[in-house]
Amino acid sequence: MLPGAAALALATVYVIALLAVEKQPLVIGLLALAIVAVLGADRMGLLASVSRSFAEREDTLGALAILAAFVVAAFFHDNHFVLLLVVTVLIYAVAALGLNIQIGYAGVLNFAGASFFGIGAYTAAVLNAHTAVPHLLVLPTGGLIAALIGSLLLLPVLRTRGHYAAVVTIAFALLFKTFLEVNDVLGGPQGLHVQGMNIFGWSLNDNMAVGDIDLSFYLGYFVVSMAMLVGAFVLVRRLVRSWIGLNLDAMRLDETAAGCFGLDVARWKIIAFTLGNFLIGFAGALFGMVGGFVAPNNYTFADSLLLVSILLLGGIGNPWGLAVATFIVVVVPEKLQTIQEYRFLLYALLVIAVLLFRPEGLLPRPMRRYVAGWRP
Amino acid sequence: MRRSTTSIPIRKMLSATVGATVLTGLLSIVAEPAFAKDTVKIGFIGPLTGGNSAIGLGGRNSADLAVRLRNADTAAKYNYDLVGLDDECKPNVAVQAATKMAADRDIIAAVTHYCSAAAIAAIDIYHKFGLPIVVWGAVLPDITYRNQYAEVHRVNGMMINQNETNTELVSKLGYKTFAVIHDTTDYGKGHNQYFSQALAGKGGKIVGTFGVTADQQDFTAELTQIKALNPEVIYFAGLTPLAVRIRAQMDKLGVRAVFDGTSGIVSDAYIQGLGPLAEGTLAFLEGAPNAKLPGGKFFMEKYAAQKYEGPPETYGAFAYAGMDLVLNTIEKVGPDRRKVIDDMAHVKDRDSIVGKITFDDHGQNTVAVVTRYVVQDGKFVEWDDSEYASGKRKLPGQK
Amino acid sequence: MDPGLLAQYVMNGLMLGMMYALVAVGFTLFFGVLDVIQFSHGDVLTVGAFVALATYIGLRSAGISSSPILLLAMLVVAIGAIATLGLLIARYLVLPLRAAPALNTLLITLTLGTVLRESVRLFYPQGADPKSFPALLPTSSINLGQFNLRLDNVIMLAAGAAVIVGLQLLLNRTKLGLAIRAVAQDEETARTMGINFTAIVLFTFALGSALAAFAGIMNGLYYNEINFGTGLLLGVIGFSAAIVGGLGSIYGAILGGFLFAGLQTIGAVALPFAGAYKDVFAFAVVIALMAWRPTGLIREKISERV
Repeated sequence: MLPGAAALALATVYVIALLAVEKQPLVIGLLALAIVAVLGADRMGLLASVSRSFAEREDTLGALAILAAFVVAAFFHDNHFVLLLVVTVLIYAVAALGLNIQIGYAGVLNFAGASFFGIGAYTAAVLNAHTAVPHLLVLPTGGLIAALIGSLLLLPVLRTRGHYAAVVTIAFALLFKTFLEVNDVLGGPQGLHVQGMNIFGWSLNDNMAVGDIDLSFYLGYFVVSMAMLVGAFVLVRRLVRSWIGLNLDAMRLDETAAGCFGLDVARWKIIAFTLGNFLIGFAGALFGMVGGFVAPNNYTFADSLLLVSILLLGGIGNPWGLAVATFIVVVVPEKLQTIQEYRFLLYALLVIAVLLFRPEGLLPRPMRRYVAGWRP
Repeated sequence: MRRSTTSIPIRKMLSATVGATVLTGLLSIVAEPAFAKDTVKIGFIGPLTGGNSAIGLGGRNSADLAVRLRNADTAAKYNYDLVGLDDECKPNVAVQAATKMAADRDIIAAVTHYCSAAAIAAIDIYHKFGLPIVVWGAVLPDITYRNQYAEVHRVNGMMINQNETNTELVSKLGYKTFAVIHDTTDYGKGHNQYFSQALAGKGGKIVGTFGVTADQQDFTAELTQIKALNPEVIYFAGLTPLAVRIRAQMDKLGVRAVFDGTSGIVSDAYIQGLGPLAEGTLAFLEGAPNAKLPGGKFFMEKYAAQKYEGPPETYGAFAYAGMDLVLNTIEKVGPDRRKVIDDMAHVKDRDSIVGKITFDDHGQNTVAVVTRYVVQDGKFVEWDDSEYASGKRKLPGQK
Repeated sequence: MDPGLLAQYVMNGLMLGMMYALVAVGFTLFFGVLDVIQFSHGDVLTVGAFVALATYIGLRSAGISSSPILLLAMLVVAIGAIATLGLLIARYLVLPLRAAPALNTLLITLTLGTVLRESVRLFYPQGADPKSFPALLPTSSINLGQFNLRLDNVIMLAAGAAVIVGLQLLLNRTKLGLAIRAVAQDEETARTMGINFTAIVLFTFALGSALAAFAGIMNGLYYNEINFGTGLLLGVIGFSAAIVGGLGSIYGAILGGFLFAGLQTIGAVALPFAGAYKDVFAFAVVIALMAWRPTGLIREKISERV
């Protein structure tokens, strides 16, 4: 457990430092330090021992990670912008987890991730404005609506393979944005305002103060999104380790063989696709409430590609890698102001580099452990 | 070998000196050198990239000019640092930029937005975080009138007046049938609403209304329909990039009608994009041309002296005036957001290069003058000075 | 409906269909030869249009103002440059990933598309602004009632048709075309027969990309404007058109292109005051079509190794 805990502690200190510094040379220095340190650790085999310790003591280390996140939040308790970044990372990680179930475990291509994210957000906008549904319930409702609309795509997704499957979701991604833009029912290109979250009378959009200490209102959202991420993470891990995960893996690796072995391929694809969309919609609903604003331009095809690139960078199928990749993709361009404009270009180049030289991603998915305590 | 008894203390001293020098050097790099004045950050948001970037950059340069002139002024109490962000004329990007600016407690106030679509989305953010802003180019009335936000103010005028003047002129010229093309943002919809209202009282007839998306490429469908409806005037409510496309495709499809636009098309980019096709376009703008403003000459001279890459464009003067007002307020009450908001609630007859600024109870300035423009020989010329008014040239279908 | 108006709609549809068909044919060529979907095809088109524009600006500032010469120069330079680009893409990005799972190739070409698009936006001077494209074809027109028949549209249609016919002749009547078809049909046997696989693949990519450059210039001439996002939508539509017509079949790609344009025109006619819905309509039909015929209208014969 020690390597994992040490890695977590170092990572927490690093994250706090990175989020705190403003001056560009310092930021670049910190990033360079990280790259050098990680490469060095890889060389010395330290990374392997860290991943082993994570695999063995996942539950304890997971609890420690949650604690670390709270430490980070406490450090920045009155800094709106940093907390907003942290909340964004948490929510995007949940969406990426949902996408991971579809692409990483079941092999169902989904290039419309941002669209389902948007469906969740729009659901939150409409429900908050026109109904009295308690906001905590709005979140799963957003997920449900996303899953429902996703089920419209089920027939084409099930019947197609490979490139043809890709075109179905790409067409849907474009259709979604255009549809929202051309009609005024959902605000048109101007978008909709989303009311902030309100749990049992406590409005999350008001700043709080504990004695003398000013607390940013984003702390409330941090707690909610942390809870969501932990829930989604635990769900995904349990899913993967269970017989459901086995079935999904089998189906992804070879559909024909899996079918021959009696797996109901259609059923598993439906389950994976729907569950993934539910998670993505859930995350989208919360993000809508955090940002307070939804517009079709937030959920374009380029944003869906961004989610896919997070998956690729982190390592398809590995939730921890996903978390790291989300952090990199969301935080680095915000800190490196000079590259803000170039961020899409740089992501794309990075993805191409990863695909050419390290297709497994940053933290490749480890082999499945069939027996406790097994070492590869 | 005998160990030198003196070299060790010297080595220690040397290393101590070197260490102290390095440390001091590091500290001096890291530590903020103390200025005589405190630095205050103020913000600017506008469309710095995309189809409207010429106007956005002109606005930013103008705001920058105000800051530079103030920093050069030794009587100023503070040193000002301008933080510029891009809203890409898109509501969602504007919200992100606004959040970034408003969440940064060091930014005391900001001069924001040319695009109405961007502004109407962002004002809620400014209210949420309590950042005082002055709008410099967005004309949608709702921006100041939809809510009673103490944080939101505006120095430029609104679209209601420009549409009144517009319908007056086209009715006077004898045009009776109109087709309306508007973009589907709140900007286009707002113009459509006010134009239709203003026209209704003057006996004109709108034969068709078409909504188009702000980034639409192909208008053959809409223009083919319009050709069938055969209006005398096509009223366009939207911004320059769309106007350039529509006018060019009108020519391709052989639609011969007068192209009548709003303040959104008054820019050099419109003329550059169309060349000779721009001839005879009508447009209307609140505010006098730069040369006729009270402080116009001063502004143009100082702007030229800074040698910026582009002209201040249509709303540069308002951006300058807005920034100047903000700087004056901070000088008066100090770098505190709340105090700035409180002071801006009482702005009455303050001098500026665009005339006297007075904010009403919704933070709106009154700009009485609406200038009527027509494109003649590759320039926006005032209607009264043009050859179209004197009768030497005629607009299509002009009686 | 007025026949003139109908004719105008048909003309609009034909122009759009021609452009979609040119892009779709490119997709089909790549797929046939290498079983790969080159998602960056649309953005390659954008680069082609911008190269042409840069050539135009360069030549104009050098003093040349004769339209035919400018147009010819633009065509030559753009087609040459983009053919080379296609070749490089094939050589360094697609061929090395042949052994990897298909998802990787898909993703690499998708992200390459983003790289191309962002590069144009960031590195071409004021790339984010829409740029006006010169009108180099004669613009005289005949007004037949509601229908405005323009000479430049006719020329473009004729040129596009000529290119497609030329492509067909190349594929069906020449030895090179025979080699391409052989590689598309069965790579191993073609190699055994002495065909240089790599050379053919590189040539096909160059050819397809050249078609994209031609379509890009056509697009620029038709709308008199290009911007960095032009290629994205055209690429997706071209891809959908190729899929609808059935990947691997040139006739299918052409059919798909005109069908898609037809769908959009019908959408525009049927919903007169909601012309913007035409895209929604077209994409929805594509999704429905994929549900009905998962491998396109002209069925692809697939066999899978288990």
